[in-house]
Amino acid sequence: MRPFALAVLLVLSAAAPLPAGDLPAEWAYKPVRRPVVPAVLSTEYPAPNPIDRFILARLHQAGRAYSAPADKRTLLRRVTFDLTGLPPTPAEADAFVKDESADAYEKVVDRLLASPAFGERQALWWLDLVRYAESDGFKADDPRPDAWRYRDYVIRSFNADKPYDRFLKEQLAGDELSPGDPDALVATGFLRHYPDEYNAVNLEQRRQEILNDIADTTAAAFLGITLGCAKCHDHKTDPLTQADYYRFQAFFAGYWPTDVAVGKADPAADAKRAAWEQRTAATRAELAKLEEPYRRKESVRQRGRFSDEYAGILDIPEAKRTPLERQLGAMVFKQVDSRSANVSGGMKPDERERWRALTAELAELGKDKPADPPRAMAMTDLGPDCPPTRLLKRGQWNKPGEELVPGYLSAIDDRDAECKPTATTSGRRAALAEWIASPKNPLTARAVVNRLWQGHFGRGIVASASDLGVTGDRPTHPELLDWLASELVEKKWSLNHVHRLIVTSAAYQQQSGAETDDGLFGHYPRRRLDGEALRDAMLAAAGLLNPKAGGPSIFPELPAELKAANWKPSADPAERNRRSVYVAVRRNLRYPLFGLFDSPDRNETCARRFVTTTAPQALTLLNDGIVLGYAKALAVRAAKEDAADPAGRAFLLALGRPPSTEETARLAAFLERHTGKPADALADLCHALLNLNEFLCVD
Amino acid sequence: MPHVPAFASRRDFLRLAGNGFGAVALSALAAEEARGADALRSPEPDPLAPKKPHFEPRAKAVIFLFMEGGPSHVDLFDPKPELTRRHGQPLPASFGKVLTPMGTGGNNLLASKRTFARYGQSGLDFSDWVPHTARHADDWAVLRACWADGLNHVGSVCQMNTGSVLAGRPSLGSWAVYGLGSENRNLPGFVVLTDGGEPLGGPRNWGTGYMPATYQGTFFRGGPNPVLNLNTPAAVGAARQRDKLALIGELNDLHRRDRPGDTQLDARQAAYELAFRMQATAPEAVDLSGESAKTKDAYGLNDKATAEFGHRCLLARRLVERGVRFVQVYCGAGSAWDAHSDLEGNHTRLCGRADRPTAALLQDLKDRGLLDSTLVIWGGEFGRTPMSEATTGRDHNPYGFTTLLAGGGVRGGAVHGTTDEFGLRGVDGRVHVHDLHATVLHLLGLDHEKLTYRHNGRDDRLTDVSGTVVREILA
Repeated sequence: MRPFALAVLLVLSAAAPLPAGDLPAEWAYKPVRRPVVPAVLSTEYPAPNPIDRFILARLHQAGRAYSAPADKRTLLRRVTFDLTGLPPTPAEADAFVKDESADAYEKVVDRLLASPAFGERQALWWLDLVRYAESDGFKADDPRPDAWRYRDYVIRSFNADKPYDRFLKEQLAGDELSPGDPDALVATGFLRHYPDEYNAVNLEQRRQEILNDIADTTAAAFLGITLGCAKCHDHKTDPLTQADYYRFQAFFAGYWPTDVAVGKADPAADAKRAAWEQRTAATRAELAKLEEPYRRKESVRQRGRFSDEYAGILDIPEAKRTPLERQLGAMVFKQVDSRSANVSGGMKPDERERWRALTAELAELGKDKPADPPRAMAMTDLGPDCPPTRLLKRGQWNKPGEELVPGYLSAIDDRDAECKPTATTSGRRAALAEWIASPKNPLTARAVVNRLWQGHFGRGIVASASDLGVTGDRPTHPELLDWLASELVEKKWSLNHVHRLIVTSAAYQQQSGAETDDGLFGHYPRRRLDGEALRDAMLAAAGLLNPKAGGPSIFPELPAELKAANWKPSADPAERNRRSVYVAVRRNLRYPLFGLFDSPDRNETCARRFVTTTAPQALTLLNDGIVLGYAKALAVRAAKEDAADPAGRAFLLALGRPPSTEETARLAAFLERHTGKPADALADLCHALLNLNEFLCVD
Repeated sequence: MPHVPAFASRRDFLRLAGNGFGAVALSALAAEEARGADALRSPEPDPLAPKKPHFEPRAKAVIFLFMEGGPSHVDLFDPKPELTRRHGQPLPASFGKVLTPMGTGGNNLLASKRTFARYGQSGLDFSDWVPHTARHADDWAVLRACWADGLNHVGSVCQMNTGSVLAGRPSLGSWAVYGLGSENRNLPGFVVLTDGGEPLGGPRNWGTGYMPATYQGTFFRGGPNPVLNLNTPAAVGAARQRDKLALIGELNDLHRRDRPGDTQLDARQAAYELAFRMQATAPEAVDLSGESAKTKDAYGLNDKATAEFGHRCLLARRLVERGVRFVQVYCGAGSAWDAHSDLEGNHTRLCGRADRPTAALLQDLKDRGLLDSTLVIWGGEFGRTPMSEATTGRDHNPYGFTTLLAGGGVRGGAVHGTTDEFGLRGVDGRVHVHDLHATVLHLLGLDHEKLTYRHNGRDDRLTDVSGTVVREILA
């Protein structure tokens, strides 16, 4: 830390920062007021970014100053990992070091914000927040083969700098607000990420769990509050009542999961499909006739698992069912529907033989069947009318209390919601989306700018990023938070504007130090890579990274010791080396390296990851065959790129800087004393590089 | 997973790496044991340092023998003469609608084919399916009216482990390690073993949910290398690994020289040291070659039916001996006890697997003076219905079922709770999963209402907003 005298700081205006202790406990529920930017003068930072004026003002009060600026290579590695989740290439580093123009750094920031890798990185924290996964969870953990479209939607949105208000409106009510826009329908996948036990028989309980999940995740992700605490009783500390909770939940009461066609019309494929259908009509008809009695029997058997009350819904004509019966009926039907069940097991031998022949025939005829049209997991309402929402005593699904209508959080806005039903929806989610996206909402902008800050500094201005409430942490810089929030709204909700403000601040460009919890930001907190970035960094250093963007998820190899019935490595090895954000997200089998390095299990919303240090992390980086493979590839690459000094090249590729004289001597001594083949020696050296603190940490 | 404390001063990593792993690891282990945990000069609180419980504990360690899939209490521990008398008749209408996953609520009653007898001075009831377990009648306390919230396996297994049918909460073992720390710094504080398959729901059952991964259970695989990536690949070999580690140490030291005072960097380097010690201690802990033939025989290692589960029970004892706080052993992992049909065949097989090793474990712990400080739990995620399913099976029953406890502060021979005349629902002395968890924590010296972790603005507990210690079975 620099002595204080080096930086002469003057606070000229009376707008001294408000100590966090003087904030009202319910500060987050009060309107955002754009504060006056403190007029700090510093001999070192003659024209500070507004962010620095807030940060310096508080540092100054604490008798401290900024640390020295980070050197260019360090800064480049930091900002490149931060914005894109990847290390800079040696060429990028050279270019930046050589660029002596005044705006060299700003140009780098623009380049990174425009890179496709930017959205791929930023998607990660958002996917944590919305508990995104590609399987159901629970016992069956059935795959959700179309879920990835939502992941790509998030990546595209961040890359396009989609205004945040639109981003959130699409996710909450894309079907109501932009019904013709396939992207907005994919966005409603946000409401589909709840873990699902499709074969549950206690349907009302399951329905309530789904609604709880949607309401809790919405409140945490978009509003940054722990509304879920008011499920069983009025919130113990925040101004949130139990009625608020169920009024909020009522916005979703008519939920209706649906899979929608996305993508452009493809007459050629349609024609091909029609031809296939015609060609196979006779075979399929015979098969259906053969299977029919067994399907019926299977349906009856499945139906018998339900209480009469639930099973009986199927006997009520669709048009006569109440909204609740329609929701529950759909849950029963999904389980009773035996159209996709293999019923051949119960057939008589001659039937089964015929069944096999027909199935084989169909497979033969179906060889040129075009793929089904692309579909996405989406959410809409069951219609203009929703099942009633009742306050549930102690949060128990079977203890209903008074009936409630959709309404906003009373501490902020005690009106009932005015919902305008459409022909097919209740209009409720649209009303909620508009309310959350309103510039007047005190929580929305604060919550998201705080998350961006956390992304860049490891901790938010409010450390508890999804709890801005009374029991959460107080903001260390309340005015800065409000200034950033108002700035976001003023700049048409451009997240990139906020990213750019933060990473171009002097605060961000300081030298690093150990992470502290003092909330002063008097140095840049050194941070460990998460598992996703660590894997990408190893692939990048080894020259293996396949930058292909988007599409269905990929399956890298698993460690040999792990069994995995539903994890078949991608057939094309190059596919296995795509970025971590494209690795399949199975709730019951997280990719081991990610789990080891603190990736959440995606069963519920996660606002901030832990950073643990465990022995199994070391064991994996030392002994895992996949990591060894990366090391070997790095060695081969280094030898190819610099035959004269492969060790120095490997060092540069891994760490983004050339080795010092001392380090060069150590590398040489290692190769010298190695008794194996030269190729093995270099591979071992490379493996050591991938294990270094410097490789795993960003200064 | 063992968490690495950030040491202010550690022995020279180079020297450690250079001297050969096994020897150094063992001497480091010995030194640490000699100095005691207080000698770890940690500049920041070490999350796994042994912690003082809230009050004097009765148990230091827990072994949870998890009978996955739901053993049938009415055929094992809770004899129901009325069920036998009314065999083939419907459940009386007064019982109302009974919700079960396979919709068997309206099926006829199915008598138990087992013979029950009273055992020990306490006269506890056991059926002829578990004669060995029964010999320890005076060690067991029987909770006969347990109940849970879930109907399906995965949610119910999850609840028995974490208190909630929904995934994402820390498990009982994690709470224990979070509350008490770990007494062995070279092995995980919470170990999970199975007799073959994987429990339904997998790692979430020993995960930490919203707590740091530091407290999560470590799944020990079968074979000599229980932890993933524990061993240096053969193609690399010890010598090359050692050289590589030396280089990592040298370069990390240079890196740290310019970054003084960053405990995270120290901790990460220390992780490699701990990884080494684990490489030495974990294989030793799972190596049964030092166990006597008599012991192995007692656990049923020489019998195909009992060998797998017996092996894990013996491992559980070895781990507890070495200071592991919480060991969970699944019997029938993957829901093997789930006898929807052919209850007779299923439970004959599963009881044959569980019975002898369970008894051997109690006896072995007792002989070594460990039973007093080790709580043993025996039970599943729920019981089974007195009604039949498909004429020969029983459906899931979370409304009333039996769990057994022994050792660690439990009053042997005690019976608590009663189910109705058919064993369908608990009628008095009901013990919810939260109550069971509160009791386990109590025996470990922890107050379940005070053991909290801040999450989403709440001080979350294992027992959520309920849980009552079952004092009736405390010694």
